[in-house]
Amino acid sequence: MMFGNMRLAISVLTALAAFAQTPADIEFFDKEVRPLLRTNCQGCHSVNGLNSGLAVDSLDALKKGGNRGPAAVVGDNNSLFLQAIRHENGLKMPPGKKLAPEQIATLEQWVKRGLPSTPEFAAAKRRKSTHWAFQPVRRPQASGIDELIQAKLKEKNLAPSPEADRATLIRRVSLDLVGLPPTPAEVSAFVNDKSAGAYERLVDRLLASPHFGERQARHWLDLARYADSDGYTIDAPRDIFPYRDWVISAINRDMPFDRFTIEQFAGDLLPNPTTDQIIATGFHRNTPSNYEGGIDFEQYRVEAVADRVQTTGAVWLGLTLGCARCHDHKYDPISQREFYQLFAFMNNTDEIDKEADRKYFNRPFLELGTPEQIAALAKWDDDVQDVELRIRKLQDMLDQEGDKDPRLIALRKELVDLRKRKPQVQRSLVMRDRPAPRDHYIHLGGDFTRKGSAVQPGVPAVFPPLKNPNPVPNRLDFAKWLVDTDNPLTARVTMNRLWQQYFGKGIVETENDVGLVGDRPTHPEVLDLLASEFMSGGWKVKRMHKMIVMSATYRQASTNRPDAAAIDPYNKLLARQNRLRLDAEIIRDSALVATGLLARKIGGPSVYPPIPKGANDVTQVKREWKVSEGEDRYRRAMYTFFQRSAGHPGLITFDAPDGAVTCTRRVRSNTPLQALILLNDDAYFEFAEVLAKQVLEGGAALDDNGKLRLAWSRAVQRDIKPAESQRLLSFLASQRDAQKEKSELAAWTAVSRVLFNLDEFMTRE
Amino acid sequence: MHPEEKHLLKKTRRHLFRDCGFGVGKAALASLMADKLLAQVNARHHAPKVDSVIFLFMAGAPTQLELFDYKPELVKWDGNVTPESFLKGKRFAFMDTFSKEPPKLLGTRRTFKQAGSNGMWFSDLVPHLSTVADDIAMIHGVSTENFNHGPAKLFANTGSVRTGRPSIGSWVTYGIGSESKDLPGYVVLQSGPRGPRGGAALWGSGFLPSSYQGVPFRSAGDPILDLSSPKGVDAEQQRRTIEAIRDLNKMELDETGDTEIAARISQYEMAYRMQTSGPELIDFKSESKETIEMYGAEPGKASYANNCLLARRLVERGVRFVQLYHADWDHHDDITKPLDRVCGEVDRPTAALIKDLKQRGLLERTLVIWSGEFGRTPMGEVREKGKIGRNHHIDAFSLFMAGGGIKAGTVIGGTDEFGFSPTQGKIDVYDVQATLLHLLGIDHLKLTFRFQGRDFRLTDVHGHLIKPLLA
Repeated sequence: MMFGNMRLAISVLTALAAFAQTPADIEFFDKEVRPLLRTNCQGCHSVNGLNSGLAVDSLDALKKGGNRGPAAVVGDNNSLFLQAIRHENGLKMPPGKKLAPEQIATLEQWVKRGLPSTPEFAAAKRRKSTHWAFQPVRRPQASGIDELIQAKLKEKNLAPSPEADRATLIRRVSLDLVGLPPTPAEVSAFVNDKSAGAYERLVDRLLASPHFGERQARHWLDLARYADSDGYTIDAPRDIFPYRDWVISAINRDMPFDRFTIEQFAGDLLPNPTTDQIIATGFHRNTPSNYEGGIDFEQYRVEAVADRVQTTGAVWLGLTLGCARCHDHKYDPISQREFYQLFAFMNNTDEIDKEADRKYFNRPFLELGTPEQIAALAKWDDDVQDVELRIRKLQDMLDQEGDKDPRLIALRKELVDLRKRKPQVQRSLVMRDRPAPRDHYIHLGGDFTRKGSAVQPGVPAVFPPLKNPNPVPNRLDFAKWLVDTDNPLTARVTMNRLWQQYFGKGIVETENDVGLVGDRPTHPEVLDLLASEFMSGGWKVKRMHKMIVMSATYRQASTNRPDAAAIDPYNKLLARQNRLRLDAEIIRDSALVATGLLARKIGGPSVYPPIPKGANDVTQVKREWKVSEGEDRYRRAMYTFFQRSAGHPGLITFDAPDGAVTCTRRVRSNTPLQALILLNDDAYFEFAEVLAKQVLEGGAALDDNGKLRLAWSRAVQRDIKPAESQRLLSFLASQRDAQKEKSELAAWTAVSRVLFNLDEFMTRE
Repeated sequence: MHPEEKHLLKKTRRHLFRDCGFGVGKAALASLMADKLLAQVNARHHAPKVDSVIFLFMAGAPTQLELFDYKPELVKWDGNVTPESFLKGKRFAFMDTFSKEPPKLLGTRRTFKQAGSNGMWFSDLVPHLSTVADDIAMIHGVSTENFNHGPAKLFANTGSVRTGRPSIGSWVTYGIGSESKDLPGYVVLQSGPRGPRGGAALWGSGFLPSSYQGVPFRSAGDPILDLSSPKGVDAEQQRRTIEAIRDLNKMELDETGDTEIAARISQYEMAYRMQTSGPELIDFKSESKETIEMYGAEPGKASYANNCLLARRLVERGVRFVQLYHADWDHHDDITKPLDRVCGEVDRPTAALIKDLKQRGLLERTLVIWSGEFGRTPMGEVREKGKIGRNHHIDAFSLFMAGGGIKAGTVIGGTDEFGFSPTQGKIDVYDVQATLLHLLGIDHLKLTFRFQGRDFRLTDVHGHLIKPLLA
């Protein structure tokens, strides 16, 4: 507020100083000009509805102009403003009805008299919105989540569901927090622990597990559009896994979310940044990059920057900023100019923008090797360029038959050999600004070849302003602004996604759009409770996870309730938990835990688990898929090398995102192709065989019933029921009959296959 | 509600709530569900002219000037430096080379003949296609937006040059589902020395549910990934396995009342049916010798000819959208032998497909479209001394369609005497997409999906029907 007043005061002073206004001037403005503007212009051109980025509701705005540049200029009879009202040069305002000649004359005279105005009109209007999401976060008067949820249920005469049984509870909270099911031993320990605080101790143990970072990192990597290749045509492997490992580590260390944000946006701009802080900036380098021959690199650089704005909008602000790329946002108070002000924050990265720099593709990198390794790589780069240059020079000298020239042949061989000797130095894609900033301008109609007026980095007017920014605000200023406690969106949007993780949908169901056309929150008070708790607790994330999973609301049984469904068919009021199909990675990870094959190594280069034959033959450049050996064959699925143009079928078919754009929520589809993978894929057959072997060995002393109990508890972590047991025993008998060799292993493998295809196996109850 | 959720619910749960109540576990759900799962948002806005589409995608961009767009004037001016007026304001790939050597006009070396009742032009590279002149509508002067292969292919398929939007086949199956009960509604087939640039993004479902992704079929080996039962598991064992899974899942359904389980049961049944229908599909035993010869198909081999025959078999079985990619049309450096070879692979099977569909009465309910991502320049391109090819050209390429609802035998659009620009109004890729949807009974303005706050369409904010094409 103070800021606004100060700006008003400054504007008034400027206005007064620039040209002396007589009372007659002011009266002329108020009586003659003002009504004309109000009746004919402000309907479409006001701060709350900026067509072409132009507002005509203040002198400041009129002088600043819209996407085409300044509109009214003191004393300029040819300014855009006057051209438009005279219907000159293709500009026609107001559209469809030209002003009367005397009205035009009035406005011309106004410009000539130096644009006199009232102090109230002079200052730019502050955009206002009454939309819920833009209002400050207010902590509700409530003891916690449950009180608020239950109050709403009570309004509908509904009671919450009882707590889920213990086996279900430990499986649920383990899958949700660390993404791995518990072992049968862990289940029975928890089921038998009747002491107070058993559940809380379990939660604390899971929050402290290094696997917590892995599971939660994968949620974040969806947002980051993480992949291990460049995308587009060539889709070559890229160096970015150190960023993935940074995310895991930051989450495991419970890095506060404000720092987590700042380091990913602008770690490189912090004073004396550490290597880790620079690696963190890989977040916005996960955009696809195009290396196809004959392209205009600037076009794809611009696409990447626009994507960064869009992603930032979806992830932190819950706003569809992309809508304002080509025109002012149709619903939310974001103008096209403001889109390009945000664009300007991220427009200075030193990525290549011209053909001549092709060899620096995917710049900037951070070299992570020793100084010697880095020096060796630099020398190698020089050597390659030197040989390439010599080849080109020689080619120019030679005539048509040049290909057979021995010197050329020798040089080409040298180049091939040199390429083979590339020193291996780990790198990671990062943000680094170029020395001279780029010119930032509005792209008319979203087309980067059509330059509109120049813009400077800045945040949309509807939000609180940047605090103490640099003279030209930079990424760091922007990042600090994102996590300023005055910004009501970041905490709400982040907590809404956290809620979505635990209940399948957010309190605002359109998790990437809390704007005017997004859904309204079902429980606004719960959202504000979480958001205020999040900020007042210093943006610590683990305690927010804990707050949710400790709630009775989270711990309810998920069994369908006809009484509640009749009133609330989509379970928006949460009279029960929701059953959720596991994410792609977690289905595989669950099988790895059930079989004990899981390699628990954290981080490192991405791995190549088996893939169905022909699965990656669909791309232009066929990439080798050399199946990893040893423990890397059995790593968590989140470490699978992700090739954008041919993602692993086990991931893609179960709705893992393809890394093209940010994914704030995975769809949970249910298709026959999923069935084919779990039924027939070699990987799952191998898991079934391993489980069968273990059952036969570990349960050698047990009868069929006992063996079945063992296998069942490994797969779905609960005791088998008699009806289930009966059905499987008859299946086992049929499989024994089907085996010519009477192989017990084959029969029990068949049983294990059934287990890995149960709905319950792939579902978090 | 979340739009994706809304849609999935429409497909499954709502139906169950309405028709089945909560005692679903006891109902004979499975077969019931199978039908309903394939149901759609029902975006049929008017009576469709066709039920299926076969999209023959010529990856790499065929040279229209060697195939269909005959330019005698260009032959006359062959070797002359291209007048500046033709290049002004246009963007080309590899433009940086122009400053070193101004591009020269290149007249075709091929012989052209007219065929059909309206005198459609065909070169000697496509003799078989000339025999179906009266079954196809030829469109000249089509334009697109991007002069690089990957983005232009994405654009042709998704209406956007960047990844992340649903492909046309996804939109169609999302909009109107598929008739096939035991095969996916959207099938992708590939041939040629490499996959198309862009890979899976070309048939991805973008922000639509992933169940609308195109499913790549292999014309040799397992047609769908993981379609065969594991080694040592015969059909009988597989059936018993799926029955056991079904029975146990039904117990879980009774226990939890979660209708998602009912959906899963029916998907397992569909998967089992696919295991039978898939191998039957790729087995050409039931095809006559004449048919196989007409296509030039060789059973068991991965080829464009086999894929054309497969395409017919797929639409015969009610598959909604079949897309074939044939790579190897990117003739920058040589339009002699390499072009002979690819035309040899494509000409005969394409003509055979149209004839075969026609003789079986399928053509009138099918739309066949043959197109690349763009065309090639009237200027020659010299990458290697002694050889000449053509560069990418986005302003005026040729494509053709055949099938129901189109005016067969007509030539639509036209280009200037050198083939640089269209002369009869702009026809662009959005128009082709809008027309394709129209023939399926879908209004391209109305088939939308809300994502990140915006109602997206395949044609974005563009697209007009190509009226002269419509019968």
